[in-house]
Amino acid sequence: MNDENLSRRQFINQSFRSAGLCVLSGAAAAAPGVALHAAATSATSPFAYDVDRLSRIDPKLLVYEQIRKISGLGAEPRRIAIAPQNRLYVATGAGVDILDGEAGKVAEIPLSAPAQCVAVADDGTIYVGLRTHVEVFDAKGKSIAVWEAPTEKAWLTGLAVGANDLFAADSAGRVIYRYDRSGKMVGRIGEKNPDRNVPGLIVPSPYLDVKLGPDGLLRVNNTGRHCVEVFTANGDLELSWGKPGLAIESFCGCCNPVGLALLGDGRCITCEKGLPRVKVYSADHTLEAVVAGPEQFPDNGRPGQNSNRRDGTLGGLDAAVDSSGRIYILDLVAGDVRVMKRKS
Amino acid sequence: MKDDSDPTKSPVTRRQFLRDGTRVAALTGLGGLIGLVAGRSSAQGTVWQIDPQKCVRCGNCATHCVLEQSAVKCVHGYAICGYCQLCTGYFEPEPNDLNTGAENCLCPTAAIKRTYVEDPYYEYTIDEQLCIGCAKCVEGCNRFGNGSLFLQVRHDRCVNCNECAISKVCAGDAFLRVPASRPYLLKTISH
Repeated sequence: MNDENLSRRQFINQSFRSAGLCVLSGAAAAAPGVALHAAATSATSPFAYDVDRLSRIDPKLLVYEQIRKISGLGAEPRRIAIAPQNRLYVATGAGVDILDGEAGKVAEIPLSAPAQCVAVADDGTIYVGLRTHVEVFDAKGKSIAVWEAPTEKAWLTGLAVGANDLFAADSAGRVIYRYDRSGKMVGRIGEKNPDRNVPGLIVPSPYLDVKLGPDGLLRVNNTGRHCVEVFTANGDLELSWGKPGLAIESFCGCCNPVGLALLGDGRCITCEKGLPRVKVYSADHTLEAVVAGPEQFPDNGRPGQNSNRRDGTLGGLDAAVDSSGRIYILDLVAGDVRVMKRKS
Repeated sequence: MKDDSDPTKSPVTRRQFLRDGTRVAALTGLGGLIGLVAGRSSAQGTVWQIDPQKCVRCGNCATHCVLEQSAVKCVHGYAICGYCQLCTGYFEPEPNDLNTGAENCLCPTAAIKRTYVEDPYYEYTIDEQLCIGCAKCVEGCNRFGNGSLFLQVRHDRCVNCNECAISKVCAGDAFLRVPASRPYLLKTISH
């Protein structure tokens, strides 16, 4: 068709159609371009904070394998403990979940406030740390007593129980409270005291933990100093070990380790956040093995995870060991328990 | 006695006409001014802000703002901060030493000041004149620490574009409009 034969109306119509098509195709081209641009920019950001290379663990150090995963825990799990009969107890935002290593969750103790930590005595008595007090239950889950912390500002985040004592770690007060089994407070451990050569606990975030070894000594994670300190029940500092750093033998970030567990022969298991790692240190405090590394907890190492949690934590792990040496790792972000067994 | 029925006499004198006209004009102007102010205040009823819970610290805030230096700055929630000696928002992931040497510092513009408080605590302060909103420190703080460093649009700088250039490329979809009366989304924590 000859353009010269177009009427004015036809010419205007065709012009509008052409312009509309141009606008439409331009918009279609621009939309994915914006998304691609955003992705490309973030992937090639000149301001990247890159620690991904540290996520890879030397396979020679990974001598544990995962044999099971236990899911279905209550919201906001915080700490895990193990009873003499190898029952697992998990402190959660709703109370305490009782797990069987094989069958998963078998019972729960509901609480009116989030449980921060839990410990179980040889006689089956269950001690649950809430923010400012300890609630005591018998082996059947019946409430027996409530022990208040000495201050309303307490933030209990770790418990350990022995034959005669209960030790409660207060992250806010940066101190370990020592109670007798009747609930009377009989001592304070870890506070700065130059006369006793105790430098004091540094706790930037609420992860202070305490464990009681078969040797009667307490292990306390001094997170701000990146070390594990060993105290007597009377509060004397015996020794400390650990150093800061991103290398596998060190404790990473600003405040680690965030959780402790003890093997029966004196070896110590440490849990870290930021680069989520669970490691085994020998009795002379050298790195012996890695139970699990960042690649096994992809969500846990993602910055900002759990930033809306009520307990102030941003992630992390906790661990417990059963009588056969199996290690149970609680993932605070994924909300599950990994059962790890040493490779044969 | 005044004869109102006289058609030759005007009902309004020139003086009255001018006086009334001036009043009407003044009232019209006042109404228009009120309308203009009301309209502008309505348009500026919301401002851009970053939801710190959604921010993925992609770095786009530093490079996509229409201003020469981004209106997005790092801010510090002191109530959340651990005052760590080894601050992962301040130091490179693997610093040679924990001092203020440039080779050890994470911030590309040295916008974070480190001040000794008491052993082993240090305070960290953002110099907003130097901060470019790159979020490198925010990433370090969130990954390992308490997340006390986070990004916010600073409204003494933001020109409140109708279509924010950063929001178009925000990888975390963290930009949103918030009431101008509450222009900041500050991080809080329960302890």
